[in-house]
Amino acid sequence: MQRRYRTVPDLKVNESARAIAFDDSALACKLTSMGFLPGTRIEMIRKSPFGSAYYVKADGVRFALREEEAASILLEM
Amino acid sequence: MNGDEGSPPLKIALIGNPNSGKSTVFNQMTGLRQRTGNFPGITVEVKEGTLHFPSGQEAILFDFPGTYSLYPTSTDEKVVASVLTNPADPYFPDAMVYVADVTKLEKHLLLFTQLLDLNVPLLLALNMSDSATALGIKVNAAKLSEAFGVPVISISGRTGHNTMRLIVELEKMVHGTRDTGAERQALPEDPVYRVPFSMNRVVSTVNRPLFYPLTESEKQVSDAIRQNLEVENPYRALLIAHHSTWLHFLKPQEKETIATITSTKNFQSLRAQVDETLERYDRFTPISQAAVASPPTFPNTPTDRIDAVLTHRLGGPLIFFAVMMLVFQAIFEWSSYPMDWIESGFGSLSEFLTTQMPSAWYTELLTDGILAGLGGILVFVPQIAILFLLISILEEVGYMARVVFMFDKTMRRFGMNGRSMVSLISGTACAVPAIMSSRTIGNWQERLITVMVTPFISCSARIPVYLVLIGMAVPAIKIGGFLSLQSLVFGAMYVLGVLAAFASGWAMKHWLHRREHSFLAIELPVYRIPVWKNVLLNTWEKVKAFIVGAGKIILVVSIALWGLSRFGPGDAIEQADKTAQTEAQELKLDTLDAEGLVQQRRLEASWAGQAGKWMEPAIRPLGYDWKIGIALLTSFAAREVFTGTLAVLYNMGGLEADINDRSDNVAKATLRERMKKEKFSDTGKPVYTLATALSLLVFYALSMQCFSTLAVVRRETGSWKWAALQFVFMSVAAYLGAWAVYILFS
Repeated sequence: MQRRYRTVPDLKVNESARAIAFDDSALACKLTSMGFLPGTRIEMIRKSPFGSAYYVKADGVRFALREEEAASILLEM
Repeated sequence: MNGDEGSPPLKIALIGNPNSGKSTVFNQMTGLRQRTGNFPGITVEVKEGTLHFPSGQEAILFDFPGTYSLYPTSTDEKVVASVLTNPADPYFPDAMVYVADVTKLEKHLLLFTQLLDLNVPLLLALNMSDSATALGIKVNAAKLSEAFGVPVISISGRTGHNTMRLIVELEKMVHGTRDTGAERQALPEDPVYRVPFSMNRVVSTVNRPLFYPLTESEKQVSDAIRQNLEVENPYRALLIAHHSTWLHFLKPQEKETIATITSTKNFQSLRAQVDETLERYDRFTPISQAAVASPPTFPNTPTDRIDAVLTHRLGGPLIFFAVMMLVFQAIFEWSSYPMDWIESGFGSLSEFLTTQMPSAWYTELLTDGILAGLGGILVFVPQIAILFLLISILEEVGYMARVVFMFDKTMRRFGMNGRSMVSLISGTACAVPAIMSSRTIGNWQERLITVMVTPFISCSARIPVYLVLIGMAVPAIKIGGFLSLQSLVFGAMYVLGVLAAFASGWAMKHWLHRREHSFLAIELPVYRIPVWKNVLLNTWEKVKAFIVGAGKIILVVSIALWGLSRFGPGDAIEQADKTAQTEAQELKLDTLDAEGLVQQRRLEASWAGQAGKWMEPAIRPLGYDWKIGIALLTSFAAREVFTGTLAVLYNMGGLEADINDRSDNVAKATLRERMKKEKFSDTGKPVYTLATALSLLVFYALSMQCFSTLAVVRRETGSWKWAALQFVFMSVAAYLGAWAVYILFS
């Protein structure tokens, strides 16, 4: 079965996509309050040196996200 | 305007998102008139400063921890929600100033609109107006003021632009709500300080409709709580419903009532929080878009170029370690001069008092107890100040957030959080402020592990002990002609501490094994030149935490230990005096050596000496005799007391006072000589072999010999349980480690 969405870790470096939804309500609560909203353009800047964390830009503002935080943000295809 | 002098001072809260530049604004508004207090019940510090209004009236300004919303995830952030939901709280503000970064206004208005709905007089300060101008961002403050119904002022904490105007507007706002309309009319309307749309609207906030109209289900929950708990404001009632499980001011029966209400109304807290947040964005985004005109952003800013290097997958960690090496180099280089001054200053003062005051127990209490304790505290201030100065600079610049990002994965493997890096680095100076800096970690388990393992990191108090022992045990040779073996061992002691910290973190992670939400999600701020006032104030705060937090306890313990080593059971001390004098006569010692011998025999006969003898069987497997036992006990005031105690025990005579003077190599060499001659009384074998010295090094690296740290651990974790566990755990680790090393090398 093919997934109908991607998540932030699926982004290649320098690739960006719009967020459409979240799949974890506790994380959604934290992330929306920081400015990650449905419609926000998320750009992958780079992966952390030891993996499992991502340097991203949300509408131009820089954030570091953990694997599961990044994976809870669903992106448009 | 000074009519209400008898009433309590006005309380103003400064609130904003992390990285909004709130602390800079706070420092601008209060200058140096600030101090740090503690929230009762919750161990989060809040800075408070005095604010002088132009009318001469004063108010207290509270700097609350930065948070993104009133739905908090860390101890730090919970403070804001817990104070604002309880009007009876001593910190509950009469008015609030919301600081927003105007260059990211769309992300900074969420919390603002939440505050708006609490119906406390509110002022919006658009900070970083200097950056906005530089970026070509134009903001229409009047439009924002009209839409939100609050005064809006553009300021710059960095340059101080409009700070005075902010204070003036704040006073006008406060009086607008406190005084009657007639008095408000009488306020001077200086055209320079006027804000369009401001005054007439503030008063109307009292009965303004909510910015976020509650949903039908939220309304029901809110109304039920308002009736049952006598809460006036509907949004405050809703917040109480969301946070009832952890709000401290609620009584158990009130919590039950709330639980019944939320379950009968089928209230889904998390879901409601997300929906509310999104609805608020939908409502304020058009407002901010209409008021802010920003030029198209350029993709490759200086911050992007710097981060391409500093957070590079390979280069990033390498640069971090290089930066840390430089930091340590700076600490050792820069701190040696002030440390020498402090040491010789206290030495001279002590000598002066000994010669000027009558030779009695109270003179000894003053010189050997109080002065020695004070000197032992102050001598570390230079190292601690320099380290925190450098850490504050790294933090202010924005680098620490990158460190958190790079090492999050590594730290999580060991049960911690990327944010723990800040605590562990600070631990190389002093564990007390280091443990306090763990408050930004939201997850309880990660924070607890950070608190528990930080004391393993070699702090500045261990350095003098390391230096004496390494000088004795390790030959002064150079490997390959340039690398000194002694400094290699010195470095190895730090590595040992770090390894112990990580190993115990790993063990605790597997033992506690709690499933709780843990967050990294951290903003990586734009790199900026540090605001020096912030750096200096922050450094001063950490040094103060050390002097007040650790110092008080070190002083008390130091005096108690003086008593234990000065007095003994029955007439033991008098007997010791007599024996020493007879011995001295037989050996025909000069006055200086005779005096030293008296000191030595007294200490041996004292309570501390008794305890040393009593514990000898326990420490013999580690290669220690009872004299080392005494030194281990006296180290509880502060670890560096070890060398001083040994100096007394090995009858250093006149050199005793010089042993703590690090530049005095004669004294150190003498102590080493005396230590080398020392033999076990029963077997006649030398006490100080390589094995004993290495075993002592390991013991000092791992053991918990600091009451101040235990006291802070108790405060931060809320119970003696964790402090006791830490003490037992570290002591066992130190004992086993020292024992293993002794076996290995003997």
